Amino acid sequence: MSIHADFQLDCKGLACPMPIVRTKKAMDQLKPGQVIEVQATDVGSLADMKGWAQSTGNQYLGTKQEGETFIHYLRKANEDEAREETKHPHVVDNEEFVHALEQEGEQLYLIDVREPAEYAFGHIPSAISIPFGQLEDRIDEIPKDKTIFVICRTGTRSDLAAQQLSKHGLKAINIVPGMSQWTSETVQDQ
Amino acid sequence: MSKKVAIIASNGGLFDAYKVFNIATAAAAADSKVAIFFTFEGLNLIHKQAYQQLPIPSGKEHFQEGFKQANIPSIVELVEVAQDMNVRLIACQMTMDVMNLQKEEFVENVEIGGAATFLHFAQDADVTLTF
Repeated sequence: MSIHADFQLDCKGLACPMPIVRTKKAMDQLKPGQVIEVQATDVGSLADMKGWAQSTGNQYLGTKQEGETFIHYLRKANEDEAREETKHPHVVDNEEFVHALEQEGEQLYLIDVREPAEYAFGHIPSAISIPFGQLEDRIDEIPKDKTIFVICRTGTRSDLAAQQLSKHGLKAINIVPGMSQWTSETVQDQ
Repeated sequence: MSKKVAIIASNGGLFDAYKVFNIATAAAAADSKVAIFFTFEGLNLIHKQAYQQLPIPSGKEHFQEGFKQANIPSIVELVEVAQDMNVRLIACQMTMDVMNLQKEEFVENVEIGGAATFLHFAQDADVTLTF
């Protein structure tokens, strides 16, 4: 799978704690929502990246391994992301959506508005990837006559996306809390 | 609210130095506020000459090769990284007097303080470590 990252960082050959130190410095330069790709050969970096992301509130997306190189993907979190503030009036919870998915299956039109890297490391099989930032430009791809379900990680970005779709006259439903609590089937891009 | 990590460094060997500075820089990278209090032989870790060639425990000399092979940063580099990330380095005044050391003999930007200076920082620390 090819994954878009906003910034690439080469930490190959560096030992602990340098990959973390460099990642922190690079992350400070990024805007919330941007994704960083960190290449490292330090085997410990796998556990370190996860731990570091947890203690800083940033999001660890996943790791690919190419030969001796680990390629880590992390996303800089928004400060208000943890809050589950929902403004779009039409909402279903994960459970209701799973039920609907079982009833109607592929007929449901589902958009995953997370970043491509988040999508690549695990998404609902039938979900179509349209990152929130591209929604406005790709609005014509979305059918006007269907109910559009929107999902993200915590329900925040998808809330904004659902509002945006409503403005275009589409019937949108936000799925909360979204992928962070998703326990049903997902697939990973190869 | 960022976490606070307080470290006491009281030994002056190469291994001690790595424990202290690896934890300190990793904590600083995770946005913690970090202060290290250097006392007794721990003062070696920030001494301009001593910290360039810290002793390896006898019988463990072969580790030297391992450090090189694994491309481990030198203590000089780690101190630089630590300072760059605003880790506070506090040298213990009392032991400086005992060992007859002057502030000028330490790396730049070292603070001089007593036990109270460190305690003031450590009082509400989330993590306290002694090496």
